[in-house]
Amino acid sequence: MADPTLGDQLIFWLLAGLTTFFAVFTITRKNPVTAVMSLVATFFCLSGIYASLSAHFLAAIQVLVYAGAIMVLFIFVIMILNREEVAPFSLRPLRVLGVVAVGYLLLKLITVAVGLPHGAPGVLPDDFGTVAAIGDVLFRDFLYPFESISVLLLVAIVGGVVVSRSHQKEAAAEAAAAYRQQIHQMAEHDYPGAPEAPTTPEGHH
Amino acid sequence: MPTFYYLILSFALFLIGTAGVLLRRNALIALMGIELQLNGGNLAMLAFSRELGDLKGHVFAFFIIALAAAEAAVGLAILVALFRGRQTVNLDEATLMKR
Repeated sequence: MADPTLGDQLIFWLLAGLTTFFAVFTITRKNPVTAVMSLVATFFCLSGIYASLSAHFLAAIQVLVYAGAIMVLFIFVIMILNREEVAPFSLRPLRVLGVVAVGYLLLKLITVAVGLPHGAPGVLPDDFGTVAAIGDVLFRDFLYPFESISVLLLVAIVGGVVVSRSHQKEAAAEAAAAYRQQIHQMAEHDYPGAPEAPTTPEGHH
Repeated sequence: MPTFYYLILSFALFLIGTAGVLLRRNALIALMGIELQLNGGNLAMLAFSRELGDLKGHVFAFFIIALAAAEAAVGLAILVALFRGRQTVNLDEATLMKR
């Protein structure tokens, strides 16, 4: 690969600047909906960066899964539990110190990264990062991890449903069922041979 | 562009995500910070993948995206449960397991 052309550089700096800007915008917004929209913009710019790394498949997945699916999930949850915040930021010394510590760690990592060969990377094969090439590696060398991802997602689905279900509604449904049973027993007592009580709650949702 | 610049951008994303997780008290924004951190890691994966001419980095980034989807689903479910119990999404008020 030759040295980056002026156009490549312009695109990289534009996308990198936009990514950083939208990322900072995300974590400073008070309104969660604005934050999510800005995060979507971050992911779109990042997907452009991925494409410039010749990771075409990952760029497409980034838009589909992140900007598409995960952000829609966020939006739904925000719609469910949007509340005014009393104190959006918490600038306790220990937390600020944590951020500073991570910044220092990354600064140290930069000094390591400076030692990397600074020129453009070597020649890549033409199909680097295409769906075909990644599929080849994915289903040849990483078949079992790939299949276990589906188990992970299944567990996540079940866990999400179990954790977020409403105990109050369940208790109310159980109480209503017990009540119906009681009524049925009284009716059975007074009028033997009465029809069975319906087992499913009707009009109860 | 040389790999170095992509690494700097990935560090920046990770740092911004960390700041979001640590300094924001809204649990939703904290989850978004985690997503930013994961994306910073992904970018480093892809940058090194290109540097080494090895597609394994792409596969790992693919797995990380699937992991992020699972993490977001479970995290948001926990938030909904927290909101049901306490009427809040403030992380400082989620102290049930703290004593």
